[in-house]
Amino acid sequence: MEFVMAVVIGVKFAAGTYMILRPSLIRVVMGFALYSNAANLLLITCGGYSFDWESPFIASNDRPLMDPLPPDIILTAIVISFAVGALLLTVAYRVYLDHDTDDPEKLPPDSLA
Amino acid sequence: MNRWLILPVLVPFLTAVLLALLNGHPRVERALNLISCVGLSVYAFWLLGHVDQNGIQAMVIGGWYAPWGIAFVADRLAAIMLCLSMSVGTLVLVYSFFTAEPRQERYFFHPLFQVLLLGVNWSFITGDLFNLFVAYEVMLIGSYGLMMVGASKPQVRQTLKYIAINGIGSTLFVVGCGLVYATLGTLNMADIALRSSQLEGAPAALVTAVSMLLMVVFALKAAAFPLFFWLPDSYPIVPAGVNGYFAGLLTKVGVYSLLRLFVLCFRQPGAELVLEVLLVLAGFTMLFGVLGALCQWEIRKILSWHIISQVGYMVMGIGLAAGGADVAQAAVAATIFYVVHHIVVKSSLFLIGGIAGRVSGSQQLEQMGGVVELAPGVAALFLVSAFSLAGLPPFSGFFAKFVLIRAGLADGAFVIVFVSLVTSFLTLYSMSKIWSYAFWRSPGRATAEGRYRAMMVPTTVLVVFTVGMGVVAEPFLRLANDAARDLVDPRAYQAAVLLPVPAAEATLSAREVLRP
Repeated sequence: MEFVMAVVIGVKFAAGTYMILRPSLIRVVMGFALYSNAANLLLITCGGYSFDWESPFIASNDRPLMDPLPPDIILTAIVISFAVGALLLTVAYRVYLDHDTDDPEKLPPDSLA
Repeated sequence: MNRWLILPVLVPFLTAVLLALLNGHPRVERALNLISCVGLSVYAFWLLGHVDQNGIQAMVIGGWYAPWGIAFVADRLAAIMLCLSMSVGTLVLVYSFFTAEPRQERYFFHPLFQVLLLGVNWSFITGDLFNLFVAYEVMLIGSYGLMMVGASKPQVRQTLKYIAINGIGSTLFVVGCGLVYATLGTLNMADIALRSSQLEGAPAALVTAVSMLLMVVFALKAAAFPLFFWLPDSYPIVPAGVNGYFAGLLTKVGVYSLLRLFVLCFRQPGAELVLEVLLVLAGFTMLFGVLGALCQWEIRKILSWHIISQVGYMVMGIGLAAGGADVAQAAVAATIFYVVHHIVVKSSLFLIGGIAGRVSGSQQLEQMGGVVELAPGVAALFLVSAFSLAGLPPFSGFFAKFVLIRAGLADGAFVIVFVSLVTSFLTLYSMSKIWSYAFWRSPGRATAEGRYRAMMVPTTVLVVFTVGMGVVAEPFLRLANDAARDLVDPRAYQAAVLLPVPAAEATLSAREVLRP
């Protein structure tokens, strides 16, 4: 199972990197989303899992407990990456409205107001 | 157990909420913002005195004891950084009362400023790696907002780049946290120090590899080579005034985290590798930063490039900590002294740059000129700050470079010492370029606005501090030395954080290891 997850995480990171390097703002936003997804999957894998483990709060017998901290961290990370992703999307759209292009290479040369 | 350690986080949070509700009443907002900043500054200085007298203070959130719950820890370094954050924050706020446009204030300038303070204070006082990540995010969200407050076209465009870069950095930070938890089984910094020092062999090498990932993250935030490219584009578009806080504090949060993690936390055999890499990066950071500054013609861009080259000096101090215990102590003390010096001087230079730009009606060196005639006081302030940045006596920059280079010579790192001296000469050259174009020449366009005198007040306070820190260096050096001792020898830090666990829960090895 860990091997499968490692492959999935690797592919997601690779795809995210490819998207971020594309000359298109919307693809950068998507690449960022893929990155944060991959990071969250990696956190789940770090915590480890097994069908034999019990949830810490409703454990009824002597079976080992699941570590609650990685899911906890993932929840926080999801909220943050969602907020930052939404902001990034908004700003990317605003740049598109301002300059009528989605291609960072075609933005007018840098000028300070 | 000092429960008031929550204040540096709680006060800006509540103030930010109140300010957001009060949006549209600029006078009330200004008053509330200022009161909050001044009050918290007083607390920060009290805390510094308290920690200096009574040792490291720690609290845990919600009664969950240290390795399990989130710890807030104030050692001397954290208290020093809190003092700087709040006092520079207060001065910058006063300055921006005179520069903020009504449109910026209407679009939530004041709440965003408090969010920024919240994130910065939080990252200084937290004792938990994942909590540090959350603090970074809060700080970054505040900085995204402030960077594009008012939303002009160049602002929005540069902010997009800044968000994208930092978003990727944050993802790597989360990955680093997860891998640290997977390899060490803890995220508490004191516990990381304890557990990593007990490792050997392959697990130790694995932790070193994981810590390298975190090193990349903090090098990105600190704008160290080769991850500095985002800084000179984004800092010049920050509204005048607040850019003093950005320049002084934000990259230094990265430097602080490098100090905290790679001097205090990661102690496994082989951890020096990260410091050695940092030492090499430091040399490149200094040189590239100052060479970048030399070919710029916009005053804020020159100053932004200088931030990079100065970060190189601080990273050099951290890198020198790979030497023996004595060298490490001296190098870390020098780094802390340098950070204090740099925050003050760089903030004051950005504030002076803002005034000079207002006096001469431009930020482009080729169009500026004659500030000496139009505003001699501003010219005097610039001269002091510029000399201090380049490291001339009797200002704070001289002692900062002196202790750093002495630590470098003690370690036998002659190459990096040579690079740092060359960089220092080039810095002086670059400052003299600003001086001769912006200040010395005859006025280009005499658009001197009369309303700059009030802006001088907060700037003067910062400049006086850099002079004072050079003339009366002894107490500052003593404090930096004590702060460095807490970092190099982690036992006091670990004892303050880990020992208050009640006896019934003492399943941790901390008791056997830490109790004499």
